Amino acid sequence: MPSKVTKLDRLRIERLVWMLDQRLYDLPRKSRIAKRREVRANLLEASADHGAREALRRIGTSGTLAREYRGAEFGDSPRHSWIAATYFATLVPLLLNFVLSEAANAYAQALSAAHAAPGTFTWSGIGYLQSPLTFTVDQGGTTHSGGAWTPAVYAGWLAGTIACGRLWRLLPTPSGRRQTPATES
Amino acid sequence: MTTSHDPQLLKGVLSLLLLHLLAEQESYGYEVAQRLQAAGFADVLEGTVYPALTRLEREGRLATRLVPSPSGPARKYYRLTPAGRDALKAANAAWARHVASVQAVLARPLPATSEKGP
Repeated sequence: MPSKVTKLDRLRIERLVWMLDQRLYDLPRKSRIAKRREVRANLLEASADHGAREALRRIGTSGTLAREYRGAEFGDSPRHSWIAATYFATLVPLLLNFVLSEAANAYAQALSAAHAAPGTFTWSGIGYLQSPLTFTVDQGGTTHSGGAWTPAVYAGWLAGTIACGRLWRLLPTPSGRRQTPATES
Repeated sequence: MTTSHDPQLLKGVLSLLLLHLLAEQESYGYEVAQRLQAAGFADVLEGTVYPALTRLEREGRLATRLVPSPSGPARKYYRLTPAGRDALKAANAAWARHVASVQAVLARPLPATSEKGP
């Protein structure tokens, strides 16, 4: 039975299209836009025929639909994710630098409070994460230098990025691991 | 006819059904889903049909074109390519062989069963 598509229905459709789009970021941009348009057009027509609720039920969740689309585009074998790798590679330095900076600021404030006289102090920093920091206290305040990431942090950052993005799946599959088709006997 | 179908069986023949429907007539995604449902596959949801069309398009069996719609956004119409026609012929033949094999097994008489156990 045809029904009118209300503004609320359009909002619900746009929500699903947006959520689907967010889950298709690994697809080429052109393909992602084409899918967005196609799903929106089909959903609007289905909503006019059966109502938005039924149309959305029949298309399924954005997660399932995105998984099906990714499988259709790339095949069913497990894939790497540049998006996950990018998130990890971007967010971890931001978070770690924030933590290290807060720790250095706290140490500087403690020095200022405890030592009114000018001087130079060395702090070994947070273990395994950073190199030693040198603090200089003078009448104008406290400055510090050092505190760079250790090689272990760089190694962990790289390993985490690879693990989050499953980037080893980019490597070519050894021929011995390929599945052989079943043969008739 | 609205009886439900075995999802695993449907998954195996969905490509064949889609190729055949699109060989009959060029259609857009929602229309294909509607035609499938009208043919008795009421439990085939749109969320299954659209990615299956994408898969066939990626495999080069379908070609697409955008057609302006009087009632909303442009529709993406799918039609068979020559490779799609070849795939349809091959899938048709495979399906016929499959049905014949299954039918041959199902046609065998079953032993008479007794009410009491052995």
